[in-house]
Order: sequence, then structure tokens, then C-alpha cells
Amino acid sequence: MSLLRLEKATIRFGGLVAVNEVSFDIRKGELFGLIGPNGAGKTTCFNLVTGMYKPTSGRILFEDRDIAGLPVARIVRLGIARTFQNIRLFGSLSALDNVVVAAHLHRRANLIDALLGDPRSMADTERLREEAMGYLRALDLGDVAHAQSRDLPYGKQRRLEIARALATQPKLLLLDEPAAGMNPAEKEDLADTVRRLRDEFGKTLLLIEHDMRFVMGLCERIVVLDHGEKISEGPPEHVRNDPKVIEAYLGEAV
Amino acid sequence: MHKAVPIRAASIVLGLLGCWGLDLLCRAFLRDSEQRLVVLAGLYVTLAVSLNLINGIAGQFSIGHAAFYQIGAYTAGYLAFFFYLQSPLQGVGWLLAMLALGMATAALAGLVVGLPSLRLRGDYLAIVTLGFGEIIRIVVQAIDLTTPAGEQVGGALGMSVEPRIRIVGLVWLFALAAIAVSRNLCKSSHGLALLSIREDEIASAAMGVQVAKMKVAAFMIGSAFAGGAGVLLAHSESFISPSMFPMDLSFIVLTMVVLRGSGAITGSVVAALTLFYVPEYLRGLKAADGTALTVTGATLVGWILAVIAAVVAVRWIAYQYRGPRKTRLAGYAATFFGALLVGRALGWAFSFFPALSGASYEVQKLRMVIFAASLIIIMLLRPEGVLGRHEFSWDWLARALRIRRPREAVG
Ligand SMILES: Nc1ncnc2c1ncn2[C@@H]1O[C@H](COP(=O)(O)OP(=O)(O)O)[C@@H](O)[C@H]1O
Ligand SMILES: [Mg+2]
Repeated sequence: MSLLRLEKATIRFGGLVAVNEVSFDIRKGELFGLIGPNGAGKTTCFNLVTGMYKPTSGRILFEDRDIAGLPVARIVRLGIARTFQNIRLFGSLSALDNVVVAAHLHRRANLIDALLGDPRSMADTERLREEAMGYLRALDLGDVAHAQSRDLPYGKQRRLEIARALATQPKLLLLDEPAAGMNPAEKEDLADTVRRLRDEFGKTLLLIEHDMRFVMGLCERIVVLDHGEKISEGPPEHVRNDPKVIEAYLGEAV
Repeated sequence: MHKAVPIRAASIVLGLLGCWGLDLLCRAFLRDSEQRLVVLAGLYVTLAVSLNLINGIAGQFSIGHAAFYQIGAYTAGYLAFFFYLQSPLQGVGWLLAMLALGMATAALAGLVVGLPSLRLRGDYLAIVTLGFGEIIRIVVQAIDLTTPAGEQVGGALGMSVEPRIRIVGLVWLFALAAIAVSRNLCKSSHGLALLSIREDEIASAAMGVQVAKMKVAAFMIGSAFAGGAGVLLAHSESFISPSMFPMDLSFIVLTMVVLRGSGAITGSVVAALTLFYVPEYLRGLKAADGTALTVTGATLVGWILAVIAAVVAVRWIAYQYRGPRKTRLAGYAATFFGALLVGRALGWAFSFFPALSGASYEVQKLRMVIFAASLIIIMLLRPEGVLGRHEFSWDWLARALRIRRPREAVG
């Protein structure tokens, strides 16, 4: 069954067509890659799927329901969460609190209870905090739970972004260049983590990555974008040998 | 039972007892004019804490807070004008009813002002809230009524408010309620959601936070407390006029919030009390013979130079000096006493210049200058706020008094 399906999704910014009639289909439980040279429109695709942009035309179906242009927070509730390419943590909050904000989606206490300091609200916040701690541990961040997130080293900030997205309990997790700026050892760790997210947590993953080797080793199916258009799709070995892809990446190391 | 329940119950009991005790003490020992100051201080604390909720915690730069205070006060004023005589509720019962209505009206106004915050950010929002504040003041000033007896009320002349009820304990109980609500919020996941909006609105929405709802809620809660403070002011003074809610008031409250440190509630309270009492203290200064206290130009210039030197020295020690903590503290102490000495010495030296020694100034009249200068100095010395990120808690008090050993850091 398809979980996410783009049908001729298109968005224009003035004269620029950033994403042009792109269609693809992600099945439940898949590890799906979205690649392409810089400026190809990958992040823009994420913005379309998460409701940050409304497509100029085309449809975006999540569990067979058109979600194009729904409010961002609604789409998170439906089960899509993302990380950001240019890390967007809540800098002055602790790593733990960053994750609690996301877990807050599954609160049971309402705002009035919170204002009155009702014991139910306190217990609820504690429950969310424990849940958040679980996600931090799952991403190997238990030891920095109380550090201010802006003070964390780069690699940990990237993992914290994943923990935070995970805490919204999404069905589909979108990772925007999660390995950017990591060294080979960190990338290796990250690849393991991503596999674990699928195998242990049962998530479906769509990830954007610049590092071809990283994607090829990790993803089961890949879509390649160039200048906003889909130029290739298929398993890694197919995409790797596609002349169009090689041409698009000419000048960049494949 | 949740482990925080007994602490919460104890806090409530302590708060009630404390306010009751404060009320008794004020009645027993303070003159009416002094009681009035205690009331005003409580109202300022309420204003600062409630604005902190909007500005500090939700991060929405609002600078028209006096408008909500005024809306509360005039709600009480007009309702009393039309209905108090026929009302079955009298005295404190009426006051409490007004408190609820004033809070509701101000919350509604908060909703109206909160809506632009969904589209505007930073300085643009600041301009809208400032404009709103002025509109309220001018509209209130423009409306006047004529009583059956042919008397003019409202408008620029102001109006009297029935009944006159000044209860120090109730005002402070209300301030405590504002503090408690802010604190409860900050400790809950709802509070974290609000903070996340301040940090990064886009990421916040991407984590499922209902940004619009939360922002408007922050505006409404903050405004409601300001409105309640206005009701208490109206009944405590028994008179209100537009000149009691000038733009300056919004700015002083804003300053209290800016001085607080990042989102800290305790800091807001300390800043509110300090900023309220310093000018009052300076206003009351008298020379030994009961006449107004004056200083000569020589003394004044001497002190100004000494203070500037001290500020430079303290900043150098705080930001450049890398030595051990003990020497650092000794440095601060030396600066303090050095400045006292230098101030006196310079004052004495300058007294030989007739141009300086001839001029004399009343300290009272300089009080707003001194006040403003102190603000600048505080911002120079503690850009992160008076108390920085520290927050009062029972744990902290227990540790300070060495009742309890410090908690282990949770790993
Ligand atoms: N909000 C926007 N307004 C105008 N142009 C945009 C906007 N967002 C993205 N673009 C343009 O769309 C193109 C694709 O960008 P992006 O999706 O970020 O590429 P990448 O594949 O590197 O993630 C770029 O040319 C970018 O400048
Ligand atoms: Mg990108």
C-alpha cells in the first residue's frame, strides 16, 4: 500500500519552477531516497509534503488523502515529521525539552490544567518527559539530555533533530541531509540508526542525501531530481548506471 | 498521588497566609499613603509578570501593556457608574465580580491584539501593540458621560469609582496568582511549547505546536491579569483618568521585563519591585533639617565620573579578567569602595571651580535622570538580566539555607 504519493506536484516561485510535475510513490516500511545536485528541488519537495508550501498544481496524497496545503501542525498530527537541513533546534532549550515540545503533541492535559498547576497536568508533563528521554536514549543522546541544545556538537544536533521528529510519533519520517557535515564514522553510526528506525520503530523513511555512497548503501529505492524534474527512479544499482543521472552529477563525484 | 501535590498545597496555604499577614501588618503599621505604595507595587509586579508571559515566554514583542490595565480599570469604572447603586452585590463581593469581568474584558482585548501577532513579527508587532495602547487611551479620553444630575464624568477629567476598597492582601494575592499561573505554565509541556515558538516558530509548527492558538492564548492570559490589576487599581484609588495610563507606564513595565533575564519570573518580580521603589525612595529623600535634599554641581559631576569609571572597571573585570574567582570578587569590592572614594575626592576637587560649586540641584528633581542612568548601568553590567536564568524554587531556598544537600545531576 502506498503511504505517500506525489502526483505531478508542481510549485513555482515567480518564473522559477522549483518542482516540476514530480510524481513518486512511497510504500509503507520503505527506506526511500531523494537525491539530486544542489538546488534540484529536494528540500522544496519536503516543504510541499509538510505543508510549508502549497503546490501550484498537482496532488500530495498521504494514506490516500490529499494533504496539499493543509496547515503544518495538522500534517504532523496525521503522521509526517521532518528534520531540517539547516538545523532548527530550539537553541536555548535543553536537548530533553526540545524533544518534550514534540512529544507535547500527545499530551492528555489541557492548557487550563497546566495554568492551574493541576496534578494531572504535572503527571502528564512527567510522562512526556520520560517518553522524550526514551527517544534521546534511542539516538544515543541520553548523556546530553540536560545540555542546552545550541551547545551540542554538530553531529549530536543532527541526531537531536531526528529524536525530536521521532517524538511526534510519525508514520513517515523525512530526513533532510541528516549526514551533512558528519565524518565517516558518524555517518556509519547514522546509517545504523536510520535502519533501526525502520526495523525497530517501524517507520517509513524518506531521506534526502547529498553523499551518493551513503544513500546507495542505505536506500532501497531512489528518486533523482534535477532542475525540479524527476530524471530517474529505481533501486540504487539502476540509478547509479542511469546516463541521465551521471550527466546531472557531472562535475560532482558520484 | 503526584509527589508535587503536597508542595503545591503548602505553597497555596503559605501564599494565603503570607498575604493575610501582609495585610494585617500594613493595616497595623502603615499610614494610608504608604499602604497605597504597597498596593501599587503589587500591581506593578502583576503587570510585569503578565507582560513577561507575552514578551518573555511566548516571545511576542508587545509594548502596549498599559492598555489592558486601563481596560480593566475602566470596565470597573463604567460598570460601577451604571450599576453599583442598584446592585445586590456590595463591597468586596462587587469587587470580586468586577475582577472577573475586568479580566474577561481585557482578555477579549488581548484576543484582538493577539490576532495581528499571527502575521506580524518583532518590530512590526511592537508598533501595532503600541498603536493599540494609544488608541485605547485616546478613545477613553474622548468618551464622557453626563449624570442625571448634569455632572460630567469620564473623558479627560477622569471618573470616580465606587466603592473605594483598598485591600493590600487581595492585591498581593492577585500578584501571587499571576506568578503561580506563569510558573505552572513554565513547568508544563504547554509552557515548553510556548517557549519553542519564541525560539523558532517554523520548527515549532513542524513539531505539531498549534502556534496561532498558543500565541493568542498567551496574549489573552497576560492581558487578563493586567485587566485584573486595573480593576484593583480603580477600586483602590477610587478614581481613574486617562493620565494614569500613559505610554511611559507601558515602557516602565517593558523595562521591568527586559531587566528580568530570559523569561525568568523571579527576575520580573525583583525588577518590578526595584523599578517601582527606587523612584519612590528618591522622591522621599530629605535633608536632615527636613528641606529638600540638594547637591552642588561639583558633587554631581564628581559622582558621575566615579560611576562611569566604576562601570568601566566592573565590565573589564567581568569580561576581560581571567584570574581566580577570589581576586575577581576582591576586584569588585575594590571598585565599589574605590568609586566611593573617587566620587568624594572629585567632588571636593571640583568645589574649587566656582562654576560647579555655585550650581545646586534638588535630588528629587533629578530622580528620573538617576532612574534612567541606573537602567543604563544595569544593562551595561548585566545584559542577561538582573538574575539571569535563575528562578526561585523551594529546592533552591532549601539549598541556600543548607537544609538539603544539592540534588545529583541527572545523567
Ligand atoms: N521560498 C522560495 N522562494 C523562491 N525560490 C525558492 C524558495 N524555496 C526554494 N527556492 C528555489 O528552489 C530551488 C530548489 O531549492 P531546494 O529545494 O532548496 O534545493 P535542494 O535540492 O538543494 O534542497 C532553488 O533554486 C531555490 O532557490
Ligand atoms: Mg536542500
